[in-house]
Amino acid sequence: MESKLAWEVEDMNMERLLLGVEALAFLEKKGFPVLKSSLARDENEAVSVASKIGFPVALKISSPDVVHKTETGGVVVSLKDEGEVRRAFKEIVDVFTANPPAKRLDGVMVQELGKGFELIIGTRKDPQFGPVLMFGLGGIFAEAMNDVAFRLIPIEAWDAKEMIEELKSYAVLKNPRKGTIDLPTIEKFLLQVSRLLEKHAEIQEMDLNPVFVTSKDIEICDARIRIV
Amino acid sequence: MNRKLKEVFSPESVTVVGASNSPDKLGYHVMKSLVQGNYRGRIFPVNPKGEMIWGLRSYTSLRETPDDVDLAVIAVPASFVPGILHQCGQKRLKGVVLITAGFREIEDVKGEALEKEIGRIAEQYELPIIGPNTFGFVNQTFGVNASFTPELSLMKKGGVALISQSGGMCHLCGFLAIEQRMGVSKLMSLGNRLNVGFPEILKHLVEEDEATTVIALYIEGLDEPRGLLDAAASLRGRKPVIAYKAGKSEKGDSASRFHTGSLAGNYKIWKGALRQAGILEVTSSEELVDTAKVFDACPPIKGAHIAVLSGQAGPGMIAADAVEEAGLKLSRFAPGTQDRINRILPPIAIRTNPVDMGPTWYNAKNILDILEAVIEDEGTHGVIFLAVFASANVNLAKEMEEYIKGIAPFEKPVIACFTAPPGIWDDEIKGMDAKKGFAIIPTPERAAKAMGNLWKANLLGR
Repeated sequence: MESKLAWEVEDMNMERLLLGVEALAFLEKKGFPVLKSSLARDENEAVSVASKIGFPVALKISSPDVVHKTETGGVVVSLKDEGEVRRAFKEIVDVFTANPPAKRLDGVMVQELGKGFELIIGTRKDPQFGPVLMFGLGGIFAEAMNDVAFRLIPIEAWDAKEMIEELKSYAVLKNPRKGTIDLPTIEKFLLQVSRLLEKHAEIQEMDLNPVFVTSKDIEICDARIRIV
Repeated sequence: MNRKLKEVFSPESVTVVGASNSPDKLGYHVMKSLVQGNYRGRIFPVNPKGEMIWGLRSYTSLRETPDDVDLAVIAVPASFVPGILHQCGQKRLKGVVLITAGFREIEDVKGEALEKEIGRIAEQYELPIIGPNTFGFVNQTFGVNASFTPELSLMKKGGVALISQSGGMCHLCGFLAIEQRMGVSKLMSLGNRLNVGFPEILKHLVEEDEATTVIALYIEGLDEPRGLLDAAASLRGRKPVIAYKAGKSEKGDSASRFHTGSLAGNYKIWKGALRQAGILEVTSSEELVDTAKVFDACPPIKGAHIAVLSGQAGPGMIAADAVEEAGLKLSRFAPGTQDRINRILPPIAIRTNPVDMGPTWYNAKNILDILEAVIEDEGTHGVIFLAVFASANVNLAKEMEEYIKGIAPFEKPVIACFTAPPGIWDDEIKGMDAKKGFAIIPTPERAAKAMGNLWKANLLGR
């Protein structure tokens, strides 16, 4: 990855949207755990990156014009070997180019396959409250059930704990169907996001979605950041 | 500004600018509130005609009133307000209640401009202003009703401060307070919050107002909510703060392409922010009043285990359900406690928690013995006591009242329902409610909810 991110050299008054690889690189640089990811411009690069990361991998379309990757056929997961990676690469690029209007294509992101329980963590500068932090479970919980908790940034350790416990879906986190989830890991992560926003006032909005959590670690799979 | 608030709320003398003999003027009702509301200070009505008002000599202008006036209650048309505020400042009044409406709350841009103008005048003289667009305030601790609603003087004196962004909600809760015998220290609507807003009032109530034991807020919306939230967080744990927030239907930002943005409804953020600041959220007017009343009347709760005592099985079961719903648990009595209960109650009803006292329901002495046993139970942190009237137990309320008179205050909260047809237990209820750590709430469900809120607030205090 380049040492300097595009947005850092651009005019700071300009609004920038960091997506996919770029957003993950920014977060990694700030000390956040992210899934191993790299941008591939062609099929051969995708294969070589995938072997470096280790199978299985996921491939995701990388374009500034695609916000909802899954819904537009831009994501293929659980690719177990070189052949599958090649097929998926073609498929993703074909779907992308087949759908007018013409869009900019940066490439395809090759990513380590995320494991564990899906969380959504976000921040936003509210016109009244200023920076706020959101926490919810991935899948239907946050979106369809509207089951999310908010706090004003900065938060303290007990706020993080209460955010987790006050979700209606807390029982699911506490007793997941498979394995266990390390709740203190989520608490620490929420605190880390709060501190990031304290340091970086230029972040207007940020979705970390999904974030995978297991019994021992937490990793950001995808992110979207709006910076002014 | 804040250091003057204590004097504003305890004025030795009040001038009413716009005092009137005509009941269709607010100045008439403010005079009535002051004259009939047991106010012991001096009252100086100001009225251009200079006539006698409510039996008092009036002055044709504020300048003519004596020099040492503390508080002005202003109820004149908005255009006169700037001039009068200058006079208040020149006379070095401690503060103003500005009842007049027609400032930034109206659609006309002139209202906004006028509010800015009075803001500058207030700043020039460092004059705290409650309002504009308020009905005033009532301070039951000091004994002054500086509002246009004389009937609010009927509120019982006590420890609840009720601060509202809306005059209407203040009246609704004030009248509920009278009906439910809630003890009030101060009640006020902040109106447009010119220079006295929630943060200033909160600091005053926590730091300077010894009579206030619990603070109840009604909030609609604030441009800068962090002021209130930061103040509450910095005062956290000193006095319980309860809030009822209106405006739950607001959705997130539908224009946002972010999940967070689309989920960030204003109320959702308020909900989290209130908890973060240590403020207990309630979701109805009666819950606000019940909870505030119980905080004021009862000792703090030290655990989540509750005993339910009932004269009839049904209300006991309802209360037991509501206890769980409120985040509490039914206590399991120690063997000694259970023995004491079993000695009184024959094994023909449920004797474990919730206790059905039916078999001895017409024997007040036995009932009180059971109550005493349960209060002394180590694993029980609070008691819900349910008494539904029956002709044969008409004496229970009287005996309970006598019992409460004779005891040292309860060390655990005891919340009771005494339900009877109107006129039967009214005097007894009045005689024992909010005494010795004992509070009466209308229904088992509400009693359990109020008890649950006592416990939740403990957790918020940190």
